[in-house]
Amino acid sequence: MHELGIVMEIIDRVEAFAKDREIKNVKTLVLEIGELSSIVPSYIEEMYAVVKMDSMLDDTSLSIEIIPGVIKCRDCGERYPFSHREEGCPTCSNDLWFVFSGAELTIKEIVIE
Amino acid sequence: MQVIEIKKRVYERNDERAEVLRDDLKRSKTFMMNLMSSPGSGKTTLVVDMIKRLKSQCSIGVIEADLDSDVDALTVEKTGVKVIQLHSGGMCHLDAGMARVGLEALGSENLDLVILENIGNLICPAAYDLGQAVNVMILSVPEGDDKPLKYPSMFSKVDVLIVSKIDTMSVFDFDIERLEAHVRKLNPLIQIFPLSAKLGDRMEVWCDYLLNEVRVWQ
Repeated sequence: MHELGIVMEIIDRVEAFAKDREIKNVKTLVLEIGELSSIVPSYIEEMYAVVKMDSMLDDTSLSIEIIPGVIKCRDCGERYPFSHREEGCPTCSNDLWFVFSGAELTIKEIVIE
Repeated sequence: MQVIEIKKRVYERNDERAEVLRDDLKRSKTFMMNLMSSPGSGKTTLVVDMIKRLKSQCSIGVIEADLDSDVDALTVEKTGVKVIQLHSGGMCHLDAGMARVGLEALGSENLDLVILENIGNLICPAAYDLGQAVNVMILSVPEGDDKPLKYPSMFSKVDVLIVSKIDTMSVFDFDIERLEAHVRKLNPLIQIFPLSAKLGDRMEVWCDYLLNEVRVWQ
């Protein structure tokens, strides 16, 4: 439940980015949130609606792209969905893995008018 | 309409601050241990017993972080070491900036070991690098041996797992081998120390390990 601090950091970063480049007409902010990031997208949306009011992003909308959780077999290197972790690797059946992707939390891009 | 790519990790600025802090701590030969766990796992009991065992061998300071109150800080203060209480103001985790504030208030440049008791929570603190030399988490026996399945990001990030309150193992259906199997799947290199801080059982194994890590850091 650290979405509030995260939204404040995101807005701060995007404001600085836009000011540096003299961008005033941001329409949409696009975030990438990994399934394994422990971040709840709906909380981010709710916090964004509140925190943006005191910023230059007041008139913007938020778009969230979910990055699926993918794990990689520690033995053969096969990549497979995190949701299949209990069954083990589809190639060699080893059940040891590490997270390959899906832990990200990234400010992807802004859309301007 | 035009799309402008930013592609910045949200934690990037915190990670940069944490790296600078870690370099500063390395220069002052101060070893910072970030201690994380859920509320009630025995963090303060562990810290108090560690101080009693280690304070003759190295200089120690403690940063207590809580949403509110100073009950833990007052308990630790009785051991005679310097303690700073940080209030996170409702936030569920500390970041590298707050850790620096705590270290400066403590005067950490003259200390060998700083124990930072993070906010009791197994989710949010896992995402924040504080500039620590070691990440340690406590899992207490009453919490159950299935916790690694429920909080994988914390268990996969820490260097050390302390299994506390092992004196209660017969009361709870806790299987240490099952726990180890769960944890090693997520984190093959983790160091695991089962102990009871209340009875002092196996505390010396953990304290010897930590003291050695402090010496290596220095």
